[in-house]
Amino acid sequence: MRQKSTSSPQIILLLALTAVGLTGQSYPGKPKIIRCRSLEKETFSCWWKPGSDGGLPTNYTLFYSRDSEEEIYECPDYRTSGPNSCYFDTNHTTPWTTYNITVMATNEIGSNSSDPQYVDVTSIVQPDAPVNLSLETKTSANTMYLWAKWSPPPLADASSNSHVYHYELQLKPEEKEEWETISVGVQTQYKVIRLQAGMKYVVRVRCMLDLGEWSEWSSERRIQIPNGESPPEKPTIIKCRSPEKETFTCWWKPGSDGGHPTNYTLLYSKEGEEQVYECPDYRTAGPNSCYFDKKHTSFWTIYNITVRATNEMGSNFSDPHYVDVTYIVQPDPPVNVTLELKKPMNRKPYLVLTWSPPPLADVRSGWLTLEYELRLKPEEGEEWETIFVGQQTQYKMFSLNPGKKYIVQIHCKPDHHGSWSEWSSEKYIQIPTDFRVKDMVVWIVVGVLSSLICLIMSWTMVLKGYRMIAVILPPVPGPKIKGIDTHLLETGKSEELLSALGCHGFPPTSDCEELLIEYLEVEDSEDQQLMPSHDSSHPSKNTKMIPKETDSDSGRGSCDSPSLLSEKCRECRTLPSTLQRQDVRDVQENKGGKTSWETQCIASEQKILLFNNETAKSSTWPAAQLPNNQPPMFAYHSTVDAHKITLNTANVNIAPVLVGNEEKRQSQYPVTETVHNDTEKEREMENLHSKTDQTTAQVKQNRPNDKSPFLNPKLMDYVEVHKVRQDEQAVLLKHKENSGKTEKYTVPGTSKEYTKVSTVVDHNIIVLMPDSCIQHTSVSQEPAMETSPNLQQGQAEKNMSYCLTAPSECKRETSGSEYMDPSSFMPSFK
Amino acid sequence: CHTSGMLTPNGKEYAQKIPREELTHLILKLLQAWKEPLSHFNQHHQELPDDSLSKAKQISNMVHELKTGVEKSMGIISNALNGMTSSEAAGLSISNEANMMSDSDFIHCFRRDSNKVQSYLKILKCRIMPENSC
Repeated sequence: MRQKSTSSPQIILLLALTAVGLTGQSYPGKPKIIRCRSLEKETFSCWWKPGSDGGLPTNYTLFYSRDSEEEIYECPDYRTSGPNSCYFDTNHTTPWTTYNITVMATNEIGSNSSDPQYVDVTSIVQPDAPVNLSLETKTSANTMYLWAKWSPPPLADASSNSHVYHYELQLKPEEKEEWETISVGVQTQYKVIRLQAGMKYVVRVRCMLDLGEWSEWSSERRIQIPNGESPPEKPTIIKCRSPEKETFTCWWKPGSDGGHPTNYTLLYSKEGEEQVYECPDYRTAGPNSCYFDKKHTSFWTIYNITVRATNEMGSNFSDPHYVDVTYIVQPDPPVNVTLELKKPMNRKPYLVLTWSPPPLADVRSGWLTLEYELRLKPEEGEEWETIFVGQQTQYKMFSLNPGKKYIVQIHCKPDHHGSWSEWSSEKYIQIPTDFRVKDMVVWIVVGVLSSLICLIMSWTMVLKGYRMIAVILPPVPGPKIKGIDTHLLETGKSEELLSALGCHGFPPTSDCEELLIEYLEVEDSEDQQLMPSHDSSHPSKNTKMIPKETDSDSGRGSCDSPSLLSEKCRECRTLPSTLQRQDVRDVQENKGGKTSWETQCIASEQKILLFNNETAKSSTWPAAQLPNNQPPMFAYHSTVDAHKITLNTANVNIAPVLVGNEEKRQSQYPVTETVHNDTEKEREMENLHSKTDQTTAQVKQNRPNDKSPFLNPKLMDYVEVHKVRQDEQAVLLKHKENSGKTEKYTVPGTSKEYTKVSTVVDHNIIVLMPDSCIQHTSVSQEPAMETSPNLQQGQAEKNMSYCLTAPSECKRETSGSEYMDPSSFMPSFK
Repeated sequence: CHTSGMLTPNGKEYAQKIPREELTHLILKLLQAWKEPLSHFNQHHQELPDDSLSKAKQISNMVHELKTGVEKSMGIISNALNGMTSSEAAGLSISNEANMMSDSDFIHCFRRDSNKVQSYLKILKCRIMPENSC
């Protein structure tokens, strides 16, 4: 029982152990740090030896801390120094600090860490051994010495070769055991004297940094010290070369001199001759060389050349060297390598590389013909691109990338047997990028400009889209000439038609006079007659007009637009006190628009002039004079109505009120209409005003004022103006669309003015204007410029921008005879 | 080489000193001297691989064409005719000699003589037409 009770934990332990034993897996064994070593005090590595791995894959991690700091770091580099190592590069190595290093082995089951190792970098410095140890025996001043040379140990990064090593040399005769140690210092060579002749010596060398340990010994080198009495060793001829196919040089390498000063002589003989010659020139080409000048150089002849080394003890010959100068030509590299950038028209710029043959080569006589080859690579590139050029001394390069830097080199070779020269010095090519930059700049500018233009276009479209559209796509005006009798047209009574149309808008020739039938008196009764008829017609007309106004106005300016006209008409209406103030708002609207009304509205009344807010002067119209009596019979689309109205009032000083509304209208209508600015209008207004002073609106109605057909806002009657003349009365021929009557109205008593039809509005409103008015007012923009012959065409454009205010004035002057809206017949003429 | 007996300038200065006609004559002599040995070589070395044979034939053709070309350009056909007789005689003896040569010597001699001819021709060319890449 006891056994059982006590054995249960043991059993468990046993089981565990068996389990371990069976499966063979356990936590890893403890690793052990073997050594740490620094090669040059700036980096160091540590190696460890793993313990048992417990049967499972084990990871090893190295942790270190510095100088009793708390923070623990992990090894930065496990690879550089090989497996089970950790390499601390310069960034992680701090001298004069103690590293506490431990290695931890981890597997699935558990981990185990090594004992800590305390490492001070400065104490573990040990460089590699020196390399390239070479030995030579030399004799000077009758003494033989051994000359040993070596190189410092190579460093991994090779960047910091500024380490100063101290060297130590050991040598001993081959048979002996003891080494003789010689401290060399920082030199990498040493001459050993006190050597026994005839002995064979073994030499080795090691190095050390200023602190740390000595490196390992380098590999040994053996050398035989020659007896002082031996002839020199055999020299060897290295090569013979001719740089220009006219002379040549041979070089040799001496052997050991056998303990005595040795002389070297070069001997040669030519093919087919027995005579042996000695080198003509030992100096020109340097030590251990022989220079054959032109006299001594023969071509297509084989030279047999040997070098003899002679010292006190004897002499030795080198192996013979056979050479035919023709085949040993190796020119100098080409010179004068120049680059030129050529920019032909219509083509991409290209580079021309030119060079000259080496100065010694006689290419001019054809004795030596050279072939060239160049190589090219981008500055950062690795591989050279070799291009064989041939015998020409220039090369055109088309395919280089702009903006990049290239290196180019050239070498040459004789066209027949021979060898390539050395490469010329590097030439750098920088491809200019300017044209590319120009391309970019051009495109940027184009982009910016076009975007600006688009912006402007869209802005204008937004703001004045309507008007733009109207300008671009003028609506086709419908025929709206009220006065024109369609019957007339149908019946084709040309005379009447012509007469109806004759004075209107057509060149005011004397024909008009002829056509002038009579003085047209507009009388109440007539008016009333007319009016009702007009009324009858007008409403319809109006209704028609209005819609027409709204839609038929095409390219006309604000003035001509029906809405404008209607507005004006309305305004006109409102102007005269007697007039029905119909759309005060229009007035206000117009007022809002600071444009000066064209005399159109003003004509009717001074009140109309009020619309021309800006041109206040013009506002002083004898409103009263305006046709109270003359209700605006015409719903003037244009200022024509206004004119009529004013005309009714003889006294009306038709202040040329420039229709500023156009400007106002501008917001609604295309820009084209209102061109004039306020000042201009004001000026015009003044002019008009003045003029009108002179020539008061003389359009007087025959009829009493009460019959002011002009001001009938609703009446969109128009009178056809047959003729407009100064000192004459405008003959206004009134046409009713429906009635077909043609009445001519003449403006009585207008000494001066005329009414000139300044504009013919779309909506068949003749804007008659006094000359002065006309000058200032713009003709309706309707294309039917031709309808107003009297108009000063030059100003037509200008006038166009004005609504027919001016004409309205004129119309006023022409006494509210009804005007036929020429536009009604306009189309026919078109 | 069988042409070693010919007195040819072996340096630039010597070659430049010789008058043109003499130089041309030399060239022709050289070319003539190789005509026979080349054909003999082609005849007696049928065992060579085909491309070598064709190359050899090509070379002898070239020599012939070169000779004709030089003659024509120098306009010394008459001289050549005169020289022919003497050189032919010489050529026969020479070619006998050439036939004795070993192949390597043959090739070596031919290489050298062709280089000679090339150099002389180039000097001639630059003397006559200096502007042409000289």
